[in-house]
Amino acid sequence: MKVRPATLVRVFWRCLFLQAAWNRRGMQNLGFAYAIDPALRALYPDAARREEALRRHLLFFNCHPYTAAAILGGAIHHEERVASGLEPPDVPRDYKSTLQGPLAAVGDGFFWTALRPFFGALGALGTLLAGWPAVVATLILYNAIHLVLRIHLFVAGYRKGDAIVGSVAKLSLPAVAEWLRAAGAVLAGLAAALMPGRAGLPAAPLAVAASLGGAAFGYLVLARGLRPVPAAYAAAAAGVAAALAAAGLGGGH
Amino acid sequence: MPGLDYLLLGLVSGLAAIERKGFLQAMLSRPIALAPAVGLLLGDLEAGLRLGPPLELLWLGAVNLGAALPVNEALGAAAVTGGAVLAGRALGGGVTPAVAVLALLVAAPAAILGRRADRWAETRNERLAERAEELLACGEPRAAVRENLIGLLRPFAIGMVLGPAFAALAAGLVPLLLRSVPSASGPLAIGWAACWGLAAAAGARALRARLGPVLFLAALAAGTLGSVLAGSAGR
Repeated sequence: MKVRPATLVRVFWRCLFLQAAWNRRGMQNLGFAYAIDPALRALYPDAARREEALRRHLLFFNCHPYTAAAILGGAIHHEERVASGLEPPDVPRDYKSTLQGPLAAVGDGFFWTALRPFFGALGALGTLLAGWPAVVATLILYNAIHLVLRIHLFVAGYRKGDAIVGSVAKLSLPAVAEWLRAAGAVLAGLAAALMPGRAGLPAAPLAVAASLGGAAFGYLVLARGLRPVPAAYAAAAAGVAAALAAAGLGGGH
Repeated sequence: MPGLDYLLLGLVSGLAAIERKGFLQAMLSRPIALAPAVGLLLGDLEAGLRLGPPLELLWLGAVNLGAALPVNEALGAAAVTGGAVLAGRALGGGVTPAVAVLALLVAAPAAILGRRADRWAETRNERLAERAEELLACGEPRAAVRENLIGLLRPFAIGMVLGPAFAALAAGLVPLLLRSVPSASGPLAIGWAACWGLAAAAGARALRARLGPVLFLAALAAGTLGSVLAGSAGR
């Protein structure tokens, strides 16, 4: 028994809503059930079997929203086998619970803490240098990568089932992530250096010094655990104080 | 028309709140995209382009890892940008560095309050999951899974209310402060420069790269030196 390609497209579209009703008890359970429902409807014409299948997908589930596409594809792969009588009904549930943790770690480590921050820093520097076209280019580039990978993971999960782990490993995402993080740190440093004169501020020595001071001392205080918003208050206060002190010294001469 | 401005801001802020977690996650609700979008809608794209980069860097580490909730950077970006544009318009001079830094200081707590509101919404969503189980037990599987989409309403409502509320606060307070103390503009501009540097440091720190501090400071030094040399050559 196979799910039609049009149904798979529908499931993929619905998986974009995976976290719509994220909750502290089942986390993405409702989103997963919502996404897989068109496939279950196709596989189980009998209402009782369909409800039983849906019930197993309403159990706890939590993963990275992008890499969860691989598990969704794999769950359909297994549901096809369950519907055909080739596997017992608890296999899709075990498949999900085995893979959700490792794939969440891969997704968080690559997409959330490397790829997206890298594009955020690239977009920030690009906007300083080139204005709105940089924003548009950042969004196009990021989403080209994000959507291609998301679709690839879904298709690979559906085709390969348990063998998806090998497909994800081949992408070497942790190694790429390390490069992206390093490049992102460089982009942030360049953005701080190029800001005076480009962000509506004059390239006056005091503005340059304040920006450099904010960057260097900011890194130190943030490394000691201060949160960004309170640190921004402290930076603003320090900048104002420095300007007043400089004006006082200038007035004294 | 201020009413229409706040309505537009509320709609964008609400839609961004949905895109941020409930649907898609395509960076459209990140400050780098949202601040220019808010600026464009309120008639000052340039202001959005000035505010987007520092806000993006400041909240680069705002990511949803597992069950941990970060500050709501989308709400913060919408409130700060909206407040800055409306304050700049009230003052008649656009979004100057002094307006930008004051708008940041007044409206940035929206991001922190947004996190509390997100936590409340996630707790309330438990009821949706329970209701889905009840509907399934009653033999209504289609209605059961559709409960998922109802979960989009709360983040939308949170964004729709808090975004314009904090923007209104900034739009009211910032002109008042700058009209009361006109001489504050100069020192505040230096405060904005310091905030910008801090934002870049927050971005670099959030990346947690191996050798991150070295790379950040080396790029900072090289970029500054390059700017100075380019400035000297220009003269």
